[in-house]
Amino acid sequence: MLTLFLLLPATGAALLAITRRADEARAKWIALIFSSLAFALSVLIFVRFDPDIAGYQFVDRFTWINTHQSGFTVQYALGVDGLSAPMVLLTGLLSLASVLVSWRVELRPREYYAWLLLLESAVGGVFMSLDLIQFFLFWELELLPMYLLISIWGTGRKEYSAMKFVLFTIVGSAFMLVGFLVLGLAGGSFDIAVLTAQPPQQALVPLSLVFWAVMAAFLVKLPVVPFHTWLPDAHTDAPTAVSVLLAGVLLKMGGYGILRIALPILPGEARDFRVLLAAIAAVSVVYGAILTLQQRDLKRLIAYSSVSHMGYVLLGVATMGAVGLSGAALQMFTHGTITGLLFITVGLIYDRTHTRQLPELSGLLHRLPVLGTVTIVAGLAALGLPGLSGFVAEITVFLGALDAHPAATITSVFGVVLAAGYILWALQRVFTGPPAARWAQLTDATAWWERTVMAGMVLAIVAVGVYPALLTTAVESGVAPIAAIVGAG
Amino acid sequence: MLLPTIPEAALWAIYFAPLLSFAVATLLIGSRRPLDAGRMTVLAVGVSWLLALWALDSSLAVDGEALDIAPHNWVSLFNLVVPVGVRLDGLTAIMLVVVTSVSLLVQVYSTGYMRGDHGYARYFAYMSLFTAAMLGLVLSSSLLQLFVHWELVGLSSYLLIGFWFHRPAAAAAAKKAFIVTRFGDFGFLVGLLLIWSKTGEFDIAAINALAPTLSAAVLTGFTLGLLAGAVGKSAQFPLHIWLPDAMEGPTPVSALIHAATMVVAGVYLIARFFPAFEAAPAEVRDVVAYTGGFTALLAASMGLAATDIKRVLAYSTISQLGYMVMALGLGGYVAAIFHLFTHAFFKAMLFLGAGSVNHATNSFDLRRMGGLRLAMPVTFASFVIGSLSLAGVFPLAGFWSKDEILLDALHHNRLLFVAGVAVAGMTALYMFRAVYLTFFGAYRGGEAPAPGHGDGHAGAPHESPRTMWVPLAILTVPAVAAGWVNLGGGFGTLAEGALPAGLRTFEIEVDAVVVAASTLFTLGGIGLATAIYLYRRPAAELIRSRLGPLPRIVERKYYLDDLAETVVVRGLLNGVIGRALVLIDTQLVDRLANEVGRATRLAGDALRRSEAGQLQAYTSMFMLGVIVAAVAIFVLSGNVLER
Repeated sequence: MLTLFLLLPATGAALLAITRRADEARAKWIALIFSSLAFALSVLIFVRFDPDIAGYQFVDRFTWINTHQSGFTVQYALGVDGLSAPMVLLTGLLSLASVLVSWRVELRPREYYAWLLLLESAVGGVFMSLDLIQFFLFWELELLPMYLLISIWGTGRKEYSAMKFVLFTIVGSAFMLVGFLVLGLAGGSFDIAVLTAQPPQQALVPLSLVFWAVMAAFLVKLPVVPFHTWLPDAHTDAPTAVSVLLAGVLLKMGGYGILRIALPILPGEARDFRVLLAAIAAVSVVYGAILTLQQRDLKRLIAYSSVSHMGYVLLGVATMGAVGLSGAALQMFTHGTITGLLFITVGLIYDRTHTRQLPELSGLLHRLPVLGTVTIVAGLAALGLPGLSGFVAEITVFLGALDAHPAATITSVFGVVLAAGYILWALQRVFTGPPAARWAQLTDATAWWERTVMAGMVLAIVAVGVYPALLTTAVESGVAPIAAIVGAG
Repeated sequence: MLLPTIPEAALWAIYFAPLLSFAVATLLIGSRRPLDAGRMTVLAVGVSWLLALWALDSSLAVDGEALDIAPHNWVSLFNLVVPVGVRLDGLTAIMLVVVTSVSLLVQVYSTGYMRGDHGYARYFAYMSLFTAAMLGLVLSSSLLQLFVHWELVGLSSYLLIGFWFHRPAAAAAAKKAFIVTRFGDFGFLVGLLLIWSKTGEFDIAAINALAPTLSAAVLTGFTLGLLAGAVGKSAQFPLHIWLPDAMEGPTPVSALIHAATMVVAGVYLIARFFPAFEAAPAEVRDVVAYTGGFTALLAASMGLAATDIKRVLAYSTISQLGYMVMALGLGGYVAAIFHLFTHAFFKAMLFLGAGSVNHATNSFDLRRMGGLRLAMPVTFASFVIGSLSLAGVFPLAGFWSKDEILLDALHHNRLLFVAGVAVAGMTALYMFRAVYLTFFGAYRGGEAPAPGHGDGHAGAPHESPRTMWVPLAILTVPAVAAGWVNLGGGFGTLAEGALPAGLRTFEIEVDAVVVAASTLFTLGGIGLATAIYLYRRPAAELIRSRLGPLPRIVERKYYLDDLAETVVVRGLLNGVIGRALVLIDTQLVDRLANEVGRATRLAGDALRRSEAGQLQAYTSMFMLGVIVAAVAIFVLSGNVLER
């Protein structure tokens, strides 16, 4: 089942690659069919996932590279638990959304959709990998489509931003690979489950160095201050669909990596550095939020708010406690849907106004009641309004964190006040005021693909906000073993 | 007493009826039958009102003791278990009656006031949402559930203040209201986190029961956090600055949300956790009492200078909320709730009266009114009755509840008693100033109707349609008589049913000093207003010129708004800190990264000299990574073999 989830988009991509240039109009339908199937499959995986069963489910496994003489093997091994199942669902959902918001892409659509689908496979692979080397390969595989999507279909300084994105990730993942190799050799296996069951006690280099080598990739990806500057550039210049996936799914690879690999395999080191991690988290939250207040470009604004919001993920991680870790996992999912939706609506607005500059926009709600209302809902979710999903995640992080890190938590809670500031300020600028003559010709979101994608995302945000158990039962089962490892001692 | 005990499902229905009407009214936005949204909202709130009366009946039967209703689990995540449930005790019963009664009358009034507005259905959707959230707030049995609804009433307040979003002032006021109250909510949230961290409890009754066993530090943090929330929501100094601006919303909204119900949520919150405040160190209660007393005085002084009838009422609301908060700090639980109860009716009526005046004149500016008593007899009569009640004239509603507060002040804190009596005099003065400027003298012309809203008429002022004056007339009844419910102590008993037995201290007491002092100052205030604004002896302008810079300072709201907006937000946060961080971010963090990146790229260039194209740049990087990896594996695996 899991292999099928990876193969579906990849097959779509392959099919697109062999489609004749004359049939380019069909490209989006092919992409839609395959991403819909993948989404349906991700829903099926999430629903069929049984939180009462310990360990990984739907496992596909065979040995891929076997080097007996050196005593380790590299496997192809996929599986999901309560931590990865929501991430797979998120990947399926946002990939479908990103295909839909690309409905009007006209520049080389065959290649565009092929790369988009390949990206889905790569990211899905990261969330399902049970082997470190395989994890690394999927982690790297994601770069190629991203680089091309930004540099070809982007806007502005797109080559610069694409290269910046690649370089930041590459530097991080170089450290990560070294860390993985040391871990694999010290533990005698690259199997994540094996390493988790028996964390290495010593290695060639001090384990604390290994911890930071692995964390380097994850913290850059998350991102945290001061490794965040690639994010606003990448977002600003990326096409809408790529921003959606970048904010919605790719950043979560960082948080997921910490929860799946860094914490359970190096629990002692993680505990040693938890105060530092909490401090980085609090700085990211407030620093990101204050910088968000300074932005004039809507996409940059959302990008900086992501830095702030991913700080909550790290704060949850730094608690090393069951509730805080659950909060981190929840925040990853909810931020994915909320910020994904924000990028979608901002993209749709940009398609109409051809500007994202706040000083130029005003009174749009008169012409765009539906698009405006959806943006407001997403904005309210981003500022942590109860009844919407962001609140559930944030309050869980805070509740888990106060005892462990009082100062960092209270600092981070203040980020919620700042969030209200930048969100409401932006909404006021863009949507309120008298109708402007310049925008009198705009038409609201009426196309089926626009309405479908917005309705689906709003539904996801409201459903989790009103009934968190949709997510919490899975997350609880996924976090429990990790919390048992890092929480003990 | 008349009916069987209300079942849990009926209590939930009080909450879900307006929630359902919110959902349906939302669907009616943009439809061709917007009037249905209004009718349905009235119907839904009517259902809630009937059920609230049933709840009151059930609560009276047990003297306000909490009914035994088991909560449900909303979230269960390891040791984080969030219960949700409905709580019915005397305090909740009183709040339910206040909220549903005022809401019902305001919704009926709104069907007239908002007729013809482009956003008719949207208006009733928001109003339904508000009513549901407010009822959810007072029914909540758990702290987190209460917080959720606390934020949701804030949301509906935001949406309704900014209802006419084409007006920049309305949009700005909405944002200001939300953000300023969020500062208070920050404290509330920290208090909530703290109490859960220390007790693992969200259940309100359980927290109150545990309070005496908690350390002073925890209790201080918790109660001060709640106080911060209350200061934001109930517009106490220094977070009061949002409420006068909130008058940008439609007037029925001001009546319901910014006078009668939502703004008392802060008072309710402190009352809800009254046992925790009583268990906390005495200094906490002092902070509560002085915050309230100071706010009452400050806002009353600003009410004297306001030229907008709704802002006069807004400052009055802040001032009266200050009374309530002060009472709670002085241990006057029953007095605070009693004043909350009476205030809701006469203040809602005053706002609806101001709306009626606006309907006739298209203006809220006192300087553009005058002489309306003949054209609008019902509005005039109700407004005067409301003003007398607010001023605290015997035997109207405000008299009883205000004297109850002053009595507590006299017993516990002479300074605050003096402040309270002074506020009583100022209240009478500013209210009758408004009465004379609005209804007496010659008509000063009003304003032209605003585009986009309603069927306002220029020309001769006239009485409002029946949907508007009937609710006004009905509200005169509680404005006169609401104070009599406690003549036999029945109200006090009901309200105290929510407290543990040890804290039930209410007894009926009449103190000649309090009655004499408050009556003297009230009549003095009315007399002064009559002299200045009816007979113009001395004329207001003359007094103003004699006071030097003082009127100007008061009119500029003591420069508190300027301090918050210009100095703190624009100057400090966006100016100094914001600019500094932008500089750090672009010139230090990003530049450093770019320099490292450039160095890397130079290295990459060297490697790919024989190749061409961007793609290869990536490939070469990847190759480099693979080489590093291969070398590493080779070296390291050698080591492993040796081991």
